[in-house]
Parts: sequence; structure tokens; C-alpha cells
Amino acid sequence: MAVRERSSVQGANTQFLDPVVLSRIGNLELLARTVVDGFLQGLHRSPHLGMSLDFAEHREYMGGDDIRLIDWRLFARTDRFYIKLFEAETAADFMVVLDISKSMSFGTHSVTKLDYARYLGSALAYFSQKQKDRVGLATFDHEVVEFIPPSTRHLQRILHTLSRAEPGRPGTLRDPLMRIGENLHHRGIILLLSDFYEEPQAVIDSVRHLRARGHDVIVFHLLDPAELEFTYDSAASFRDLESATMIPIVPDELAVEYRKLIGEHTQELDRLFTGSRIDYTVLDTSKPLDYALFRYLSSREKMSRVR
Amino acid sequence: MGLLAPLFLLGLVGLVVPVLVHLTERQRRTVVDFPSLMFLRKIPFRSTQRRRIHHWTLLSIRALALLLLVAAFSRPFFENTEVAIGATLGPREVVVVLDRSYSMGYGDRWERAKTRARQVFEGLEPSDRASLVFMGRGAEALLRATSDRERLLAALDTASIGDDGTVYGPALKLAQTILEESELPNREAVIISDFQRSGWNGDEGVSFPFGTVIEPVLISDDSTPNATVASVTLQRDFFSGQERMTATARVVRREGDEPVDRTILLELDGQEVQTQTVTLDPTGSATVTFEPFTLSDVYTRGSIRLDSDALTQDNELHFVLSPGRAMRVLVLEGANPRENVSLYLETAHASEESSFQVEVRSSSTFSTEDLETTDVVVLNDIPFPQGNTEVRLRRFVEAGGGLLLVLGERSAWRTGLEEFLPGRFGPARDYSRGAARLGFLDYPHPVFELFAGPGTGDFTRARFFRSRDLQVSPEGQVLARFDDGSVALAERLVGEGSVMVWTSTMDAFWNDLAVQPVFLPFIHQLMYHLGKYRDQVPWFTAGQVLDIADPDGLVFVADRENELSPETDQVALTPGGGSIALPATVGPRFLELDEQGFYEVRPPGTNPDRVFSVAVNVDVAESELEAMDPTELAGAVASRQAGDEVGAGGETLTPEMQARNQERRQSLWRLLMVAALVLLLAETAISNWISRAATMRFEDGRSYVPSSP
Repeated sequence: MAVRERSSVQGANTQFLDPVVLSRIGNLELLARTVVDGFLQGLHRSPHLGMSLDFAEHREYMGGDDIRLIDWRLFARTDRFYIKLFEAETAADFMVVLDISKSMSFGTHSVTKLDYARYLGSALAYFSQKQKDRVGLATFDHEVVEFIPPSTRHLQRILHTLSRAEPGRPGTLRDPLMRIGENLHHRGIILLLSDFYEEPQAVIDSVRHLRARGHDVIVFHLLDPAELEFTYDSAASFRDLESATMIPIVPDELAVEYRKLIGEHTQELDRLFTGSRIDYTVLDTSKPLDYALFRYLSSREKMSRVR
Repeated sequence: MGLLAPLFLLGLVGLVVPVLVHLTERQRRTVVDFPSLMFLRKIPFRSTQRRRIHHWTLLSIRALALLLLVAAFSRPFFENTEVAIGATLGPREVVVVLDRSYSMGYGDRWERAKTRARQVFEGLEPSDRASLVFMGRGAEALLRATSDRERLLAALDTASIGDDGTVYGPALKLAQTILEESELPNREAVIISDFQRSGWNGDEGVSFPFGTVIEPVLISDDSTPNATVASVTLQRDFFSGQERMTATARVVRREGDEPVDRTILLELDGQEVQTQTVTLDPTGSATVTFEPFTLSDVYTRGSIRLDSDALTQDNELHFVLSPGRAMRVLVLEGANPRENVSLYLETAHASEESSFQVEVRSSSTFSTEDLETTDVVVLNDIPFPQGNTEVRLRRFVEAGGGLLLVLGERSAWRTGLEEFLPGRFGPARDYSRGAARLGFLDYPHPVFELFAGPGTGDFTRARFFRSRDLQVSPEGQVLARFDDGSVALAERLVGEGSVMVWTSTMDAFWNDLAVQPVFLPFIHQLMYHLGKYRDQVPWFTAGQVLDIADPDGLVFVADRENELSPETDQVALTPGGGSIALPATVGPRFLELDEQGFYEVRPPGTNPDRVFSVAVNVDVAESELEAMDPTELAGAVASRQAGDEVGAGGETLTPEMQARNQERRQSLWRLLMVAALVLLLAETAISNWISRAATMRFEDGRSYVPSSP
């Protein structure tokens, strides 16, 4: 499976991935379908790309194995019974873990971080459903708010839950992720969507145990352009969305310092996640979703190779 | 100052708001929601501890602006315009009336008064004019309507306190004249005085020109303890053929806490002769009687001195005495007089202390030479003399002598007397239905003036059983009548003298007046009047004017009046050592007695043994230091009409000035409002500047400022 460079897919159809355009689509399922189909159509690839039909290895037939899996050609050559094992021979569990803490409600344009996460989560859930994966959803702030276990029949429920998810409370990572990990009995793919306003070490400590349970973890770090560039120009009182704490800010004096800090933060997260073999991507919510989708597909490809 | 809307003062409670704002430091600017302040807090800050006010200037400006706003909304107004309205409208005519009566010498009052006057002169603009008027018993304009400030100040520096009392009328009249003559648009009168009430009677008739600003300046002290030699009584009597004087001084003390002992002494011709100690109660008086002293020389100078206190001028009292001359009364009775017909008259005049010399003689022994040494002749129930005696008697009266006719049964009318007597007298009449009594007395007349007061003599107790009818001529004047309307006493002025007719006897024959207590003073008053007797005047009061050409004014030097004859040049030496020339002239020669002490009058170049002297004392009324309300005086002299508004100085305001005055009194709110707005603008600028200084503060009580740009 080939993954093209991001620059090569910025074609005419990318307007279907623009968050601003997507925000006008009220139905999340339709949105997911539009994203996925548009995205895949832009790739000029089969919609069955990635289906788990690739041969992986042979092993000797053992009593109880399905005789239909016996490779008769190899029996003809070796006179022994071997059965074929295929990669991803069964559908994977795909779990969308979405941070709905209050800070995710932030957005300086028409799409908030939560909206962006909603679009991305629903699109990838839809995409995984089409891959015959079992899809699930967990939302959390400082505790698990909703938990939909992976299933091939839960897509509508997931989309519905995503559409009505509302941020309202402060959030943390450690306890909710611990609880979610405990409820996932099969290894699978976990897509973690959050803004990660915790110290990098605390973040990696919270996420690492998911990896330790055998899950493949893909992390999307969602940030609004204002969080990245700190484009404020007039003095104001800045209020923390989660703690409601306010401090007077003179942006001119602090913007440079802030950009430096947020850069260091993402770099540190990238370093720590990479060290734990976790895919980490910073997403600007003003940008189209294609980059995120490519990152996802790239991650899936790497995972399949490793497996 | 008052407030039109005092309830707005409740807004002062709002003064706590800026303080709370500065203490709590709540952010009042735009609030921006941000996902997390995690990174912002990581930015290193310079931290300072709060709970104290950081921007005192800002706080002060805010509080002051709020205060001014509250004050402006309360609409303050002045009860009256303290500043003269006209002061800013053009040149002023300023009259400074400076009280220099001797009471201003109490403590440092005089210096304070001059200081205030100096301030007024120093505050004059070049276009202003000023006058300096001294106020005492009279008034003196030392400088009049001048713009020369240096002259005014120099005149003030050389001014000295006087010895006379305070009389407001003349000085205020003079100030009124100066102000009325001024063509300057603004007029001011500054009255600097201790405002003693004794000098003000309220009907001085002073009315300053319309719109004059009157500034009364009260020079006073919280406490004014003072002792005064209020009066001296000089009792004259004769002892062993010598005339003796007994001086009795009355000392008054005003204010004080405890009785004090004061020393008082008597001086004669500059020699201390007696010293006594007098105990003065607080706010009380005491009488000191000195031992009698013999009076042998004319112009004997005497002084009674009390030891010094805060006001020295009223601690001494001077007098000048000369030996007296008894009034000579000649009583003529008939050849065979009724028994004791002159007894009561003679007895009434005969006493050792009496100033009368009475001689009772028979009319037959009367000679015209007797008139030369007689002051009063009494014809006691005798026919009127005829011939040469009558002529001499008429001349005697015309020259100033006194004649009293006492009518009795022997008195006889004859033709010709109507030209000399106050009326024609007729036969005797009896009061058969009981006695007559005196029903009318002409109390304003000098004879009865003494008895005008209650308890001073009861003439109604005397019973009259018989009298002679008297038909008063138009030239005559009835002085007393009986209760039936008939005349009891009548007078006629003849030349310089006078003739009186008493229509009943002066013994106990036709009436019992002679045995009544009022008889003796009545006879004395009659004789004093007929003999033109005047007591010696031992002293004058500062401020009086003496005409040394008037013999009547110098009765106590009558024997030597030729020394002051109009044909002789005189010079008067004042107590202060000055001299006043009194050249020979026809007419009055006035000597102004301005200084306390002894004036001497003598021909120039002479040094007589006993020089004519006049004692001058201060007016003791001035030693009463009670002050009146200065605004009362200012209001009384201000010119006004019904409905006029009066300014701070008592000036009357025109309708235009009233409107302007009212506007000025209430216009303070505008000034306050403008000041508040200016402060608020300044506050805005300063707070913006502070904001741009990148002050950042947390609500937890700490303030943060970036440590480096």
C-alpha cells in the first residue's frame, strides 16, 4: 500500500475536507461519508484498499484447523498439510478516544477543536467501518463520559454520541485513559484526540499504559491557530476555560515567549510519543482534514507492516 | 457655605470604591477565553506582593475626582460673597477708618490694627485710591484719596494712639463724604476698631454710598481685665478758716478671677502726698477716700494714679483746683420785722461747709455800696425800695445780680414795678377750704431741675395757707403754681440778671415749706440760679475744646481772668511738650484739649509762679472694653432699600449685582465639575500608561510583570 505525500493530494476535491465547509453539514454520518469518499476518491484507489487478504505465512495443520485453509498446492509439492495464514485475518478494534474537556470547546474561527475532533473521529470511524473493523468510542474529561465498546454495529450510535458530545468540565488524562484501557479487552487501534494541556511527562505516562496493553495508539494533538501563534494584539484578561482563572495579558509582551513554550511542548510530546512508538501528530484545526487522514492511513500501514 | 442638594453627599460613600478597586485589583478590561493558561503561567515574571496600594497617584486622582463630582452635585454655594464683587471690576476707592482711641492701646491692639491697615494699603492696585481716616472723639483724614501707597504706609507708620474715646459718627461721616465724592466704580470702607459699644448710639445718620463694600475688622482680645479710676469727688469745706479738699476716688475693675490689691496714690503739684492700697473684687468697684488737704494756691494740680495694667491711660485722673469764693447773699427785712421772718432763710445758708455767706439786715440800713459785694439780694416781706436805691438795684440786676422778692403781708405794689418784676402782685388770699399745695413745678428750669428725679424732693407735702396773687406779665415766666392755678414762683430776666417773685413767705407764717426737708435744697438752688453760681471744673475730657476767651468757661479762675484777656498773646503748652500759639484776637480763642494731662496757658516769654492750668482726662467710658457686633455697625451704615440684598461687608447690591452675586455664590459646582473631568482625563491617561507598562496581576493577590522584554 502506497501513501502519497500530502502535497500531492491537495487537489480540487479538498474542499470536502475543509473544516469550514464541513461545519455546514449537520449530519455527522453524511459528513463522514463525504470526507471518506471524497478523500478516497481523490486518491484514485480502490475503496477496498487495506482489506486483510494479504498472505502472511504458513504453518502446519493441526487437529481442529479448518481444512478449507489447507494450502493444497504446497501439499502437492511437499506432501505435508500446511494451512495459510493471512494478515489481519480478522477485523480490528478501532477505538476513538475523544477528549471533551472544556478546553476543547475553544476555537477562534467557525470550528472549535471539539468540532474538528468530531469530524475527524466520525470520518475515521466511518472509514474503519468500511474496512470491516469494529469501531468504538470513548469520551472523557476528568472521567469517562461515554463508553461505546467496539462493534461492527455501533457506528450510528457512535456518530450520534459524537454529535451530542458537549464540553463542560475540566479534564485530565490519566484516570480516564486508565479506565478506558481497562475496558478494552482486545488489542486494537486507539485514536486519541486531545489538546493535551498537561505536562508532557504526565501525558506520556497516561497514554503509555494503553500502548503497554498492546494497543496501537495514534495521537492527534488538536490545537487552534490562536493556540499555536497567539495572535492576540490587545491587552485583555485571559480566562482559563477549565479553571476560570483570569490573568491580565499584554500579548505584545508575551507572544514570542508563548510560541516558544508551545513549540517546546509539542516537541517534547513528539519526542516522548515517538519513543513509545506512538504516532503523534499536531493538527491545526484551521487546516483541512486530509493531513490527518493521511497520517492515519500512514500509521495503519506502519502498523500492518510491523504486525 | 451651604449646599443646595446635601443628599448627594451620600455619594461620598463611593470613595471606598477606588480603594477597593486598588486593593482587589479586579480586572476590568475585556475577558478572553483561552483553553489553558498553562504556558502563560510558565513565562517568568517579576513578582511583587500585593495587599497594598500600588498606584497611589491613580488612587488619589480617582478619589479626588469622585469627591469633586459629589461636591459638584451637592451644589455648594456661599452664604455670601466673601470676595467683594466689585474688586475685579475696576479701580477702587478705599477708605481705611482706623480707630486710635486710647482703648486701642490695650495690649498689642494698636500694632494689630496698623498691621491690618498696612495689608490693605499693600493690596492696592496702581489704579486704586485710598484714604486714611483716624477715628477718635472726632475724625481726621490724614491722607485723602491718594494712589501713593508709600505715603499711606508712611503715614501709618507715624500714626500714634490718642487719648480720646471712640465716637463712630464723625469718622464714618467723613468716610461717607470721601466715598461719595469718588468717581471710581468701586468703593470700599475698611473699619478697623475694637468696636466699643459705648461709642455707638445707632442714630449717627451715616449711610455709605450705594454698593459700598464695608469690611469691619474687629481688633479684640479674649479676655480684657482692666481697672479704671472711674471718678474722683472733690469735697470742699472750711476748717479753721482754711479751705480744705477731700478727694474720693472710685476704682472700677472689670473681669478677673480673684480679688487683687492695687496701689493708688494722690499727687499734688507733682508731689506724692498719700498712698493707699485698695482691694478690688472681680468685676467690682471700690472707693478710696484720701485725707483732706489744704487748698491755698490757685491752679493746684492734683493727680490720682493707680498702678499700671494693660490699659494705662485710664489708671490716672488729673484735676486742677483753686481756692473757692463763697456766694454772698443779702437778706433785707423790714424795720419791725415779724419774729423769725428771716430765720429759716439765714439758717438754710448757714453751715460750716456752705459756700454761702448770708447777711440779714434791715432795709433801712441798706446802702447801694452793699451791692458791690453781693451776689443775690432777697427782699423779705418788705416794700420795694424807691428812689436811688431802686435805680441801683435795677442796675445791679441788669449787671448780672439776682433779686428775690418774698411776698408777705408787708409787700406793696406800686406803679412802675411792672417794668422790672415778672408780674403785678395783688392782695393776699386765704385758702379757707384747707391748705393749698404746689401743683406745678417747671422741672426743666435750673431751680427745679435737681428735683426732677423720683425721691429727690417732695414739694407736695408743704401746705400753703395764704399767698399773694400774682398776675404774670408777658415778660415773666411761671416756674411754680399752686394746685388752684395761682402763681407760686415767677421769674423775669432783666439784663444779665434775673428777678424772681415768691408769692408766699419764707418762714412758717403763711406756709410750712420752711420746715419741710425740701426747703434747704430749694433755697440753695434758688440762690445758685440767681447768683449765677457755677462749680469749679476740675478737669476736662480729652477731645473737648476750651474757649479761653469765655469767662464763663473759666469760672474757677475768675479772679485772675485778666491774665487771659483778649488783648494779650498766649501760648498753651501741651502735656506732650508741644506748644500752641493763642494770639490776641477779638472773639473766641479755642484750645483743643487732645492730650491727657495738664495744659498750661501763659503769655509768651513769661514764667508766672502759678500758671493757668487745665487738667485733661480720658473719657472713662472708653475703658469699658465691651465690643459690639461689627456687622451690626456695618449693616447700620450700609445704604439700602427694602428688598435689597446685602453683601458680605454690608454693602447694598443692585439687581444686576444681586444676580451676579447669586451666580457667583452658586457657580462653584461648575468649577468642581471641570476639575473632576480634568482629573478623570488624567486618570485615563495614567491608567493607560500603566497598562502599557505591562502590569499583570493574578487574583490571588500577587502581581506579575514580565522580567524581561
